[in-house]
Amino acid sequence: MHWLMTSFQGGLASLASYLAAHVLLCLVPAFFIAGGLSALVPQQSIIRYLGPDAPKWMSYPAAAGAGSLLAVCSCTIQPLFAGIYKKGAGLGPAITFLFFAPAANILALSYTGVALGADFAIARILLALSFGIGIGMIMAVLFRESDVARLADTQTFATGEGISGRTLLFLGTLVALLIAGTLKLDFLKAIVLSTSIPWSGASGVQQLLDGAVPVNEGTGAEGLSLQGALLIGLLAVIGATAWRGLGKVDEGFNRLTFVTLGLVVATLVFAAMGVQVTPGGISLAVTGRTVAVIVTSLALLPQARRFDAWDVQQWLWETWRFVKMIFPLLIVGVFLVGVIRVFIQPEWVQAIAGANTVLANLAGVVFGVFMYFPTLVEVPIAKMFLSLGMHPGPLIAYLMADPELSLQSILITSAIIGKLRAWTYVGLVALFSTLAGLTYGAWFDGTSALTLGIAVAGLILLLTAMLHLIETHRRT
Amino acid sequence: MLIKILGPGCAKCNRLEQLTREAAAELGINADFEHVTQIEHFMAYPIITTPALVVDEQVKCSGRIPNKSEIMGWLKV
Repeated sequence: MHWLMTSFQGGLASLASYLAAHVLLCLVPAFFIAGGLSALVPQQSIIRYLGPDAPKWMSYPAAAGAGSLLAVCSCTIQPLFAGIYKKGAGLGPAITFLFFAPAANILALSYTGVALGADFAIARILLALSFGIGIGMIMAVLFRESDVARLADTQTFATGEGISGRTLLFLGTLVALLIAGTLKLDFLKAIVLSTSIPWSGASGVQQLLDGAVPVNEGTGAEGLSLQGALLIGLLAVIGATAWRGLGKVDEGFNRLTFVTLGLVVATLVFAAMGVQVTPGGISLAVTGRTVAVIVTSLALLPQARRFDAWDVQQWLWETWRFVKMIFPLLIVGVFLVGVIRVFIQPEWVQAIAGANTVLANLAGVVFGVFMYFPTLVEVPIAKMFLSLGMHPGPLIAYLMADPELSLQSILITSAIIGKLRAWTYVGLVALFSTLAGLTYGAWFDGTSALTLGIAVAGLILLLTAMLHLIETHRRT
Repeated sequence: MLIKILGPGCAKCNRLEQLTREAAAELGINADFEHVTQIEHFMAYPIITTPALVVDEQVKCSGRIPNKSEIMGWLKV
Protein backbone atom coordinates (compact mmCIF):
# COMPACT_ATOMS: atom_id res chain seq x y z
CA MET A 1 0.00 0.00 0.00
CA HIS A 2 2.85 2.29 0.86
CA TRP A 3 4.52 2.10 -2.53
CA LEU A 4 1.22 2.82 -4.24
CA MET A 5 0.88 5.97 -2.17
CA THR A 6 4.48 7.00 -2.86
CA SER A 7 4.18 6.51 -6.58
CA PHE A 8 0.87 8.35 -6.73
CA GLN A 9 2.40 11.21 -4.79
CA GLY A 10 5.36 11.14 -7.15
CA GLY A 11 3.04 11.56 -10.11
CA LEU A 12 1.16 14.36 -8.40
CA ALA A 13 4.34 16.17 -7.45
CA SER A 14 5.65 15.99 -10.97
CA LEU A 15 2.33 17.27 -12.33
CA ALA A 16 2.06 20.08 -9.80
CA SER A 17 5.54 21.41 -10.35
CA TYR A 18 5.07 21.03 -14.07
CA LEU A 19 1.80 22.94 -14.23
CA ALA A 20 2.83 25.66 -11.83
CA ALA A 21 6.39 26.20 -12.89
CA HIS A 22 6.88 25.23 -16.49
CA VAL A 23 3.66 25.66 -18.31
CA LEU A 24 2.68 29.17 -17.79
CA LEU A 25 5.35 31.56 -18.82
CA CYS A 26 6.78 29.20 -21.39
CA LEU A 27 4.14 26.98 -22.90
CA VAL A 28 1.21 29.41 -22.89
CA PRO A 29 2.98 32.00 -25.07
CA ALA A 30 4.54 29.16 -27.10
CA PHE A 31 1.11 27.77 -27.94
CA PHE A 32 -0.02 31.23 -29.10
CA ILE A 33 3.11 31.51 -31.25
CA ALA A 34 2.52 28.07 -32.73
CA GLY A 35 -1.05 29.07 -33.55
CA GLY A 36 0.20 32.29 -35.13
CA LEU A 37 2.77 30.49 -37.26
CA SER A 38 0.14 28.07 -38.44
CA ALA A 39 -2.58 30.62 -39.15
CA LEU A 40 -0.78 33.82 -40.15
CA VAL A 41 2.38 32.76 -42.00
CA PRO A 42 1.58 31.86 -45.61
CA GLN A 43 3.27 28.52 -46.26
CA GLN A 44 4.18 29.65 -49.73
CA SER A 45 6.52 32.26 -48.26
CA ILE A 46 9.03 29.54 -47.46
CA ILE A 47 7.96 26.90 -49.97
CA ARG A 48 9.01 29.11 -52.85
CA TYR A 49 12.65 28.58 -51.89
CA LEU A 50 12.23 24.82 -52.15
CA GLY A 51 11.55 24.43 -55.86
CA PRO A 52 13.40 21.96 -58.11
CA ASP A 53 15.66 24.70 -59.44
CA ALA A 54 16.62 26.15 -56.09
CA PRO A 55 20.38 26.09 -55.48
CA LYS A 56 21.39 23.97 -52.51
CA TRP A 57 22.67 26.83 -50.35
CA MET A 58 19.13 28.13 -50.51
CA SER A 59 17.13 24.91 -50.39
CA TYR A 60 18.80 23.32 -47.36
CA PRO A 61 18.45 26.33 -45.05
CA ALA A 62 14.92 26.89 -46.41
CA ALA A 63 14.07 23.27 -45.61
CA ALA A 64 15.28 23.81 -42.07
CA GLY A 65 13.26 27.04 -41.87
CA ALA A 66 10.17 25.23 -43.08
CA GLY A 67 10.82 22.61 -40.42
CA SER A 68 10.80 25.10 -37.59
CA LEU A 69 8.17 27.54 -38.85
CA LEU A 70 5.58 25.53 -40.73
CA ALA A 71 5.63 22.08 -39.26
CA VAL A 72 4.23 22.52 -35.79
CA CYS A 73 1.76 19.77 -36.44
CA SER A 74 2.28 16.37 -37.95
CA CYS A 75 -0.45 16.81 -40.54
CA THR A 76 1.64 19.46 -42.29
CA ILE A 77 4.83 17.40 -42.05
CA GLN A 78 3.80 14.46 -44.24
CA PRO A 79 2.39 16.29 -47.28
CA LEU A 80 5.20 18.83 -47.17
CA PHE A 81 7.79 16.10 -46.97
CA ALA A 82 6.25 14.24 -49.90
CA GLY A 83 5.92 17.49 -51.86
CA ILE A 84 9.52 18.60 -51.38
CA TYR A 85 10.76 15.13 -52.26
CA LYS A 86 8.63 14.44 -55.31
CA LYS A 87 8.15 17.86 -56.83
CA GLY A 88 10.62 20.23 -55.34
CA ALA A 89 14.19 20.40 -54.20
CA GLY A 90 14.52 16.64 -53.82
CA LEU A 91 15.50 14.03 -51.28
CA GLY A 92 18.23 15.96 -49.45
CA PRO A 93 16.22 19.03 -48.44
CA ALA A 94 13.17 16.84 -47.75
CA ILE A 95 15.21 14.82 -45.26
CA THR A 96 16.62 17.97 -43.67
CA PHE A 97 13.06 19.20 -43.24
CA LEU A 98 11.92 15.90 -41.73
CA PHE A 99 14.83 15.77 -39.30
CA PHE A 100 14.76 19.36 -38.17
CA ALA A 101 11.01 19.78 -37.67
CA PRO A 102 10.46 17.93 -34.36
CA ALA A 103 13.57 19.35 -32.71
CA ALA A 104 13.18 22.96 -33.68
CA ASN A 105 9.54 23.88 -33.47
CA ILE A 106 8.73 26.63 -31.03
CA LEU A 107 6.95 24.39 -28.53
CA ALA A 108 9.74 21.82 -28.23
CA LEU A 109 12.40 24.48 -28.10
CA SER A 110 10.89 26.70 -25.43
CA TYR A 111 9.85 23.75 -23.30
CA THR A 112 13.34 22.25 -23.47
CA GLY A 113 14.81 25.60 -22.50
CA VAL A 114 12.62 26.02 -19.44
CA ALA A 115 12.59 22.44 -18.19
CA LEU A 116 16.20 21.47 -18.87
CA GLY A 117 18.02 24.78 -19.24
CA ALA A 118 18.91 27.15 -22.04
CA ASP A 119 22.13 25.31 -22.96
CA PHE A 120 20.14 22.17 -23.75
CA ALA A 121 17.78 24.13 -25.98
CA ILE A 122 20.65 25.82 -27.80
CA ALA A 123 22.52 22.53 -28.19
CA ARG A 124 19.37 20.85 -29.45
CA ILE A 125 18.72 23.42 -32.17
CA LEU A 126 22.36 23.86 -33.27
CA LEU A 127 23.11 20.15 -33.41
CA ALA A 128 19.79 19.33 -35.08
CA LEU A 129 20.42 22.05 -37.67
CA SER A 130 23.95 20.99 -38.59
CA PHE A 131 23.27 17.27 -38.51
CA GLY A 132 19.89 17.67 -40.23
CA ILE A 133 21.62 19.37 -43.14
CA GLY A 134 24.40 16.78 -42.94
CA ILE A 135 22.04 13.81 -43.10
CA GLY A 136 20.09 15.42 -45.94
CA MET A 137 23.27 15.86 -47.97
CA ILE A 138 24.48 12.33 -47.32
CA MET A 139 21.13 10.98 -48.49
CA ALA A 140 21.32 13.17 -51.59
CA VAL A 141 24.80 11.80 -52.33
CA LEU A 142 23.90 8.15 -51.64
CA PHE A 143 20.78 8.14 -53.78
CA ARG A 144 21.93 10.59 -56.44
CA GLU A 145 21.16 8.20 -59.32
CA SER A 146 17.46 7.79 -58.63
CA ASP A 147 16.98 11.40 -57.63
CA VAL A 148 17.03 12.65 -61.22
CA ALA A 149 13.67 11.18 -62.17
CA ARG A 150 11.43 13.47 -60.20
CA LEU A 151 8.31 15.17 -61.35
CA ALA A 152 9.85 18.57 -61.70
CA ASP A 153 7.05 20.99 -61.08
CA THR A 154 8.40 24.51 -61.09
CA GLN A 155 4.99 26.11 -61.29
CA THR A 156 3.92 25.01 -57.81
CA PHE A 157 6.85 26.83 -56.33
CA ALA A 158 6.86 29.87 -58.57
CA THR A 159 4.47 32.30 -57.00
CA GLY A 160 3.81 33.22 -53.46
CA GLU A 161 3.55 36.12 -51.12
CA GLY A 162 6.09 36.85 -48.43
CA ILE A 163 5.43 37.18 -44.73
CA SER A 164 3.91 40.60 -44.15
CA GLY A 165 5.63 43.09 -41.89
CA ARG A 166 2.78 43.23 -39.42
CA THR A 167 2.77 39.44 -39.05
CA LEU A 168 6.50 39.52 -38.33
CA LEU A 169 6.05 42.27 -35.77
CA PHE A 170 3.15 40.44 -34.14
CA LEU A 171 5.03 37.15 -33.90
CA GLY A 172 8.09 39.06 -32.71
CA THR A 173 6.07 40.58 -29.87
CA LEU A 174 4.80 37.13 -28.90
CA VAL A 175 8.37 35.84 -28.88
CA ALA A 176 9.37 38.81 -26.71
CA LEU A 177 6.59 37.84 -24.30
CA LEU A 178 7.92 34.28 -24.21
CA ILE A 179 11.47 35.47 -23.60
CA ALA A 180 10.43 38.02 -20.97
CA GLY A 181 8.61 35.27 -19.12
CA THR A 182 11.31 32.64 -19.18
CA LEU A 183 14.79 34.10 -19.41
CA LYS A 184 16.73 34.17 -16.16
CA LEU A 185 18.29 37.61 -16.40
CA ASP A 186 19.10 39.89 -13.49
CA PHE A 187 17.05 42.87 -14.57
CA LEU A 188 14.01 40.62 -14.96
CA LYS A 189 14.44 39.33 -11.44
CA ALA A 190 14.94 42.81 -9.90
CA ILE A 191 12.12 43.85 -7.61
CA VAL A 192 10.41 47.04 -8.72
CA LEU A 193 7.77 47.31 -6.06
CA SER A 194 6.68 45.12 -3.20
CA THR A 195 3.79 45.00 -0.84
CA SER A 196 2.40 42.56 1.67
CA ILE A 197 -1.07 41.32 2.32
CA PRO A 198 -1.80 40.36 5.93
CA TRP A 199 -3.43 36.94 6.03
CA SER A 200 -2.76 34.75 9.02
CA GLY A 201 -4.02 31.63 7.24
CA ALA A 202 -1.34 31.75 4.56
CA SER A 203 1.28 29.64 6.29
CA GLY A 204 -1.40 27.12 7.25
CA VAL A 205 -2.41 26.72 3.60
CA GLN A 206 1.22 26.37 2.58
CA GLN A 207 1.68 23.64 5.20
CA LEU A 208 -1.31 21.82 3.79
CA LEU A 209 0.16 22.01 0.28
CA ASP A 210 3.54 20.79 1.54
CA GLY A 211 1.78 17.84 3.11
CA ALA A 212 0.01 16.92 -0.12
CA VAL A 213 2.96 17.48 -2.41
CA PRO A 214 6.14 17.14 -0.35
CA VAL A 215 9.34 18.89 -1.34
CA ASN A 216 12.13 16.38 -1.78
CA GLU A 217 15.41 17.75 -2.98
CA GLY A 218 16.89 14.27 -3.32
CA THR A 219 14.45 13.31 -6.07
CA GLY A 220 14.12 16.80 -7.50
CA ALA A 221 10.48 17.20 -6.42
CA GLU A 222 9.88 20.91 -6.24
CA GLY A 223 6.73 20.88 -4.14
CA LEU A 224 3.82 23.21 -4.67
CA SER A 225 3.77 26.83 -3.56
CA LEU A 226 0.66 28.83 -2.75
CA GLN A 227 1.23 30.81 -5.94
CA GLY A 228 1.54 27.56 -7.87
CA ALA A 229 -1.76 26.27 -6.47
CA LEU A 230 -3.52 29.51 -7.43
CA LEU A 231 -2.02 29.36 -10.91
CA ILE A 232 -3.23 25.80 -11.42
CA GLY A 233 -6.69 26.96 -10.41
CA LEU A 234 -6.51 29.83 -12.91
CA LEU A 235 -5.39 27.42 -15.63
CA ALA A 236 -8.42 25.25 -14.96
CA VAL A 237 -10.71 28.29 -15.26
CA ILE A 238 -9.02 29.29 -18.52
CA GLY A 239 -9.51 25.78 -19.84
CA ALA A 240 -13.21 25.97 -19.04
CA THR A 241 -13.75 29.36 -20.69
CA ALA A 242 -11.52 28.58 -23.66
CA TRP A 243 -13.65 25.57 -24.56
CA ARG A 244 -16.24 27.90 -26.00
CA GLY A 245 -14.25 31.12 -26.06
CA LEU A 246 -11.48 29.84 -28.33
CA GLY A 247 -12.94 26.58 -29.59
CA LYS A 248 -15.91 28.32 -31.22
CA VAL A 249 -14.10 31.50 -32.19
CA ASP A 250 -14.23 30.52 -35.87
CA GLU A 251 -17.94 31.29 -35.82
CA GLY A 252 -17.20 34.82 -34.61
CA PHE A 253 -15.84 36.35 -31.44
CA ASN A 254 -18.00 35.70 -28.42
CA ARG A 255 -17.98 37.13 -24.94
CA LEU A 256 -16.01 34.18 -23.60
CA THR A 257 -13.25 34.83 -26.13
CA PHE A 258 -12.43 38.11 -24.44
CA VAL A 259 -12.88 36.61 -20.97
CA THR A 260 -10.41 33.87 -21.87
CA LEU A 261 -7.84 36.25 -23.31
CA GLY A 262 -8.16 38.57 -20.32
CA LEU A 263 -7.69 35.64 -17.95
CA VAL A 264 -4.65 34.42 -19.88
CA VAL A 265 -2.97 37.80 -19.57
CA ALA A 266 -3.90 38.11 -15.89
CA THR A 267 -2.52 34.63 -15.21
CA LEU A 268 0.73 35.37 -17.02
CA VAL A 269 1.15 38.58 -15.06
CA PHE A 270 0.43 36.83 -11.77
CA ALA A 271 2.87 34.04 -12.65
CA ALA A 272 5.54 36.64 -13.30
CA MET A 273 5.17 38.16 -9.83
CA GLY A 274 7.16 37.13 -6.80
CA VAL A 275 4.90 35.65 -4.15
CA GLN A 276 6.27 34.58 -0.78
CA VAL A 277 4.43 33.22 2.20
CA THR A 278 5.60 34.99 5.36
CA PRO A 279 4.53 34.25 8.94
CA GLY A 280 2.19 37.26 8.92
CA GLY A 281 0.72 36.82 5.48
CA ILE A 282 1.82 37.04 1.86
CA SER A 283 4.40 39.33 0.34
CA LEU A 284 3.81 40.30 -3.27
CA ALA A 285 6.62 41.64 -5.44
CA VAL A 286 6.34 43.25 -8.84
CA THR A 287 9.56 42.34 -10.65
CA GLY A 288 11.13 43.44 -13.88
CA ARG A 289 9.61 40.30 -15.36
CA THR A 290 6.10 41.37 -14.33
CA VAL A 291 6.54 44.74 -16.02
CA ALA A 292 7.97 43.13 -19.15
CA VAL A 293 5.07 40.67 -19.37
CA ILE A 294 2.51 43.47 -18.93
CA VAL A 295 4.16 45.67 -21.56
CA THR A 296 4.48 42.93 -24.19
CA SER A 297 0.92 41.67 -23.62
CA LEU A 298 -0.49 45.18 -23.97
CA ALA A 299 1.57 45.74 -27.10
CA LEU A 300 -0.25 42.83 -28.74
CA LEU A 301 -3.67 44.45 -28.52
CA PRO A 302 -3.28 47.37 -30.98
CA GLN A 303 -1.43 45.04 -33.36
CA ALA A 304 -4.17 42.41 -33.31
CA ARG A 305 -6.71 45.10 -34.21
CA ARG A 306 -4.89 45.77 -37.47
CA PHE A 307 -5.41 42.21 -38.70
CA ASP A 308 -8.60 41.05 -40.41
CA ALA A 309 -11.04 39.59 -37.93
CA TRP A 310 -10.85 36.29 -39.84
CA ASP A 311 -7.09 36.08 -39.38
CA VAL A 312 -7.31 36.71 -35.65
CA GLN A 313 -10.05 34.09 -35.34
CA GLN A 314 -7.89 31.62 -37.25
CA TRP A 315 -4.98 32.37 -34.95
CA LEU A 316 -6.98 31.75 -31.78
CA TRP A 317 -8.67 28.68 -33.21
CA GLU A 318 -5.32 27.16 -34.22
CA THR A 319 -3.84 27.96 -30.81
CA TRP A 320 -6.67 26.18 -29.03
CA ARG A 321 -6.43 23.27 -31.46
CA PHE A 322 -2.77 22.82 -30.55
CA VAL A 323 -3.58 22.99 -26.86
CA LYS A 324 -6.31 20.37 -27.23
CA MET A 325 -4.08 18.12 -29.30
CA ILE A 326 -0.91 18.29 -27.20
CA PHE A 327 -1.80 19.31 -23.68
CA PRO A 328 -3.89 16.33 -22.42
CA LEU A 329 -1.27 13.82 -23.56
CA LEU A 330 1.43 15.95 -22.00
CA ILE A 331 -0.36 16.01 -18.64
CA VAL A 332 -0.80 12.25 -18.64
CA GLY A 333 2.82 11.86 -19.71
CA VAL A 334 4.13 14.12 -16.97
CA PHE A 335 2.07 12.31 -14.33
CA LEU A 336 3.33 8.91 -15.46
CA VAL A 337 6.90 10.14 -15.55
CA GLY A 338 6.51 11.16 -11.91
CA VAL A 339 5.11 7.72 -11.03
CA ILE A 340 7.85 5.83 -12.86
CA ARG A 341 10.50 8.07 -11.35
CA VAL A 342 9.81 6.50 -7.95
CA PHE A 343 10.76 3.03 -9.18
CA ILE A 344 13.93 3.76 -11.12
CA GLN A 345 17.12 3.54 -9.09
CA PRO A 346 19.65 6.25 -9.89
CA GLU A 347 22.38 3.57 -9.87
CA TRP A 348 20.86 1.87 -12.94
CA VAL A 349 20.85 5.04 -14.97
CA GLN A 350 24.30 6.02 -13.83
CA ALA A 351 25.71 2.59 -14.65
CA ILE A 352 24.39 2.72 -18.22
CA ALA A 353 24.60 6.40 -19.11
CA GLY A 354 26.46 8.15 -16.32
CA ALA A 355 29.44 9.10 -18.46
CA ASN A 356 29.91 10.40 -21.98
CA THR A 357 30.96 7.17 -23.72
CA VAL A 358 29.99 5.86 -27.15
CA LEU A 359 28.08 3.04 -25.49
CA ALA A 360 26.16 5.40 -23.22
CA ASN A 361 25.21 7.58 -26.19
CA LEU A 362 24.12 4.54 -28.15
CA ALA A 363 21.98 3.49 -25.20
CA GLY A 364 20.30 6.90 -25.29
CA VAL A 365 19.61 6.54 -29.02
CA VAL A 366 18.27 2.98 -28.74
CA PHE A 367 15.94 4.01 -25.94
CA GLY A 368 14.76 6.91 -28.10
CA VAL A 369 14.09 4.72 -31.13
CA PHE A 370 12.16 2.00 -29.36
CA MET A 371 10.10 4.22 -27.11
CA TYR A 372 7.36 6.26 -28.60
CA PHE A 373 6.16 9.26 -26.65
CA PRO A 374 3.64 11.88 -27.76
CA THR A 375 4.91 15.31 -28.81
CA LEU A 376 6.82 17.12 -26.04
CA VAL A 377 6.66 14.25 -23.53
CA GLU A 378 10.29 13.53 -24.41
CA VAL A 379 11.19 16.63 -22.39
CA PRO A 380 9.87 15.57 -18.93
CA ILE A 381 11.36 12.12 -19.58
CA ALA A 382 14.72 13.73 -20.29
CA LYS A 383 14.37 15.80 -17.14
CA MET A 384 13.72 12.66 -15.13
CA PHE A 385 16.85 11.02 -16.52
CA LEU A 386 18.88 14.13 -15.81
CA SER A 387 17.79 14.15 -12.18
CA LEU A 388 18.62 10.44 -11.97
CA GLY A 389 22.19 11.17 -12.97
CA MET A 390 22.29 10.67 -16.72
CA HIS A 391 25.17 12.48 -18.39
CA PRO A 392 24.02 15.44 -20.57
CA GLY A 393 25.75 13.92 -23.62
CA PRO A 394 23.66 10.73 -23.82
CA LEU A 395 20.66 12.85 -22.87
CA ILE A 396 21.05 14.96 -26.00
CA ALA A 397 21.54 11.76 -28.01
CA TYR A 398 18.20 10.56 -26.63
CA LEU A 399 16.50 13.93 -27.25
CA MET A 400 17.64 13.88 -30.87
CA ALA A 401 16.62 10.30 -31.58
CA ASP A 402 13.29 10.08 -29.77
CA PRO A 403 11.11 12.55 -31.70
CA GLU A 404 12.84 11.80 -35.00
CA LEU A 405 12.34 8.10 -35.01
CA SER A 406 9.40 6.01 -34.05
CA LEU A 407 7.93 2.98 -35.72
CA GLN A 408 5.08 5.11 -37.02
CA SER A 409 7.29 7.76 -38.59
CA ILE A 410 9.52 5.10 -40.15
CA LEU A 411 6.50 3.46 -41.80
CA ILE A 412 5.18 6.76 -43.18
CA THR A 413 8.59 7.73 -44.46
CA SER A 414 9.15 4.41 -46.18
CA ALA A 415 5.75 4.67 -47.88
CA ILE A 416 6.86 7.93 -49.47
CA ILE A 417 10.55 7.41 -50.25
CA GLY A 418 10.82 3.61 -50.27
CA LYS A 419 12.16 1.08 -47.79
CA LEU A 420 15.83 1.25 -48.68
CA ARG A 421 15.99 5.03 -48.36
CA ALA A 422 13.92 5.03 -45.18
CA TRP A 423 16.14 2.50 -43.39
CA THR A 424 19.27 4.27 -44.55
CA TYR A 425 17.78 7.41 -43.02
CA VAL A 426 17.09 5.57 -39.76
CA GLY A 427 20.68 4.34 -39.64
CA LEU A 428 22.02 7.82 -40.29
CA VAL A 429 19.82 9.37 -37.63
CA ALA A 430 21.06 6.80 -35.10
CA LEU A 431 24.68 7.49 -36.09
CA PHE A 432 24.34 11.25 -36.02
CA SER A 433 22.34 11.33 -32.79
CA THR A 434 25.18 9.41 -31.16
CA LEU A 435 27.64 11.92 -32.63
CA ALA A 436 25.51 14.79 -31.36
CA GLY A 437 25.46 13.29 -27.89
CA LEU A 438 29.23 12.80 -27.91
CA THR A 439 29.73 16.38 -29.07
CA TYR A 440 27.52 17.92 -26.40
CA GLY A 441 28.92 15.59 -23.76
CA ALA A 442 32.46 16.61 -24.70
CA TRP A 443 31.47 20.27 -24.37
CA PHE A 444 29.95 19.58 -20.98
CA ASP A 445 33.12 17.78 -19.89
CA GLY A 446 35.24 20.79 -20.78
CA THR A 447 36.23 20.61 -24.47
CA SER A 448 36.08 24.11 -25.90
CA ALA A 449 33.02 25.01 -27.94
CA LEU A 450 35.27 26.44 -30.66
CA THR A 451 37.07 23.14 -31.29
CA LEU A 452 33.78 21.25 -31.44
CA GLY A 453 32.20 23.92 -33.62
CA ILE A 454 35.09 23.70 -36.08
CA ALA A 455 34.83 19.90 -36.15
CA VAL A 456 31.07 19.95 -36.84
CA ALA A 457 31.36 22.76 -39.41
CA GLY A 458 34.24 20.91 -41.08
CA LEU A 459 32.12 17.79 -41.42
CA ILE A 460 29.25 19.72 -43.01
CA LEU A 461 31.61 21.59 -45.36
CA LEU A 462 33.15 18.31 -46.45
CA LEU A 463 29.70 16.93 -47.27
CA THR A 464 28.74 20.11 -49.15
CA ALA A 465 31.91 19.89 -51.21
CA MET A 466 31.21 16.24 -52.03
CA LEU A 467 27.65 16.99 -53.09
CA HIS A 468 28.85 19.90 -55.19
CA LEU A 469 31.48 17.77 -56.93
CA ILE A 470 28.97 15.05 -57.71
CA GLU A 471 26.47 17.54 -59.08
CA THR A 472 28.99 19.23 -61.34
CA HIS A 473 30.25 15.85 -62.45
CA ARG A 474 26.78 14.73 -63.39
CA ARG A 475 26.09 17.83 -65.41
CA THR A 476 29.11 17.37 -67.68
CA MET B 1 -19.88 20.28 -59.69
CA LEU B 2 -17.16 18.17 -58.13
CA ILE B 3 -15.47 19.53 -55.05
CA LYS B 4 -12.35 17.86 -53.70
CA ILE B 5 -10.71 18.56 -50.41
CA LEU B 6 -7.10 17.42 -50.23
CA GLY B 7 -5.68 16.77 -46.80
CA PRO B 8 -4.50 13.87 -44.68
CA GLY B 9 -7.58 14.03 -42.46
CA CYS B 10 -6.44 16.51 -39.87
CA ALA B 11 -8.52 19.12 -38.06
CA LYS B 12 -7.74 21.80 -40.62
CA CYS B 13 -8.88 19.74 -43.59
CA ASN B 14 -12.07 18.70 -41.84
CA ARG B 15 -12.79 22.31 -41.09
CA LEU B 16 -12.25 23.30 -44.72
CA GLU B 17 -14.65 20.58 -45.80
CA GLN B 18 -17.27 21.74 -43.30
CA LEU B 19 -16.93 25.37 -44.42
CA THR B 20 -17.19 24.40 -48.07
CA ARG B 21 -20.27 22.27 -47.45
CA GLU B 22 -21.87 25.17 -45.61
CA ALA B 23 -20.98 27.55 -48.44
CA ALA B 24 -22.44 25.19 -51.05
CA ALA B 25 -25.61 24.72 -49.01
CA GLU B 26 -26.07 28.46 -48.60
CA LEU B 27 -25.72 28.97 -52.34
CA GLY B 28 -28.04 26.07 -53.02
CA ILE B 29 -25.41 24.35 -55.17
CA ASN B 30 -25.71 20.63 -55.61
CA ALA B 31 -22.13 19.43 -55.50
CA ASP B 32 -20.34 16.11 -55.06
CA PHE B 33 -17.78 16.13 -52.29
CA GLU B 34 -14.68 14.05 -52.13
CA HIS B 35 -12.17 14.16 -49.28
CA VAL B 36 -8.86 12.89 -50.65
CA THR B 37 -6.60 11.65 -47.88
CA GLN B 38 -4.01 9.69 -49.86
CA ILE B 39 -0.83 11.71 -50.18
CA GLU B 40 0.03 10.03 -53.50
CA HIS B 41 -3.14 11.49 -55.00
CA PHE B 42 -2.24 15.02 -53.88
CA MET B 43 0.79 14.84 -56.08
CA ALA B 44 -1.37 14.97 -59.20
CA TYR B 45 -2.25 18.58 -58.38
CA PRO B 46 0.12 21.55 -58.41
CA ILE B 47 0.06 21.89 -54.64
CA ILE B 48 2.49 21.14 -51.88
CA THR B 49 0.67 22.38 -48.83
CA THR B 50 -2.57 21.20 -47.33
CA PRO B 51 -5.47 21.63 -46.85
CA ALA B 52 -6.28 22.36 -50.48
CA LEU B 53 -9.59 23.03 -52.18
CA VAL B 54 -10.12 21.77 -55.73
CA VAL B 55 -13.26 22.75 -57.62
CA ASP B 56 -13.86 20.88 -60.88
CA GLU B 57 -10.18 19.85 -60.98
CA GLN B 58 -8.99 23.43 -60.51
CA VAL B 59 -6.97 24.26 -57.41
CA LYS B 60 -8.55 27.22 -55.67
CA CYS B 61 -6.35 27.48 -52.63
CA SER B 62 -3.85 25.51 -50.62
CA GLY B 63 -2.08 25.71 -47.30
CA ARG B 64 -4.68 27.82 -45.53
CA ILE B 65 -8.32 27.96 -44.59
CA PRO B 66 -10.16 30.58 -46.65
CA ASN B 67 -13.19 32.30 -45.20
CA LYS B 68 -16.67 31.40 -46.29
CA SER B 69 -17.32 34.35 -48.57
CA GLU B 70 -14.11 33.56 -50.43
CA ILE B 71 -15.26 29.98 -50.94
CA MET B 72 -18.69 31.16 -52.11
CA GLY B 73 -16.96 33.31 -54.73
CA TRP B 74 -15.23 30.24 -56.14
CA LEU B 75 -18.34 28.12 -56.13
CA LYS B 76 -20.57 30.69 -57.85
CA VAL B 77 -18.67 30.81 -61.13
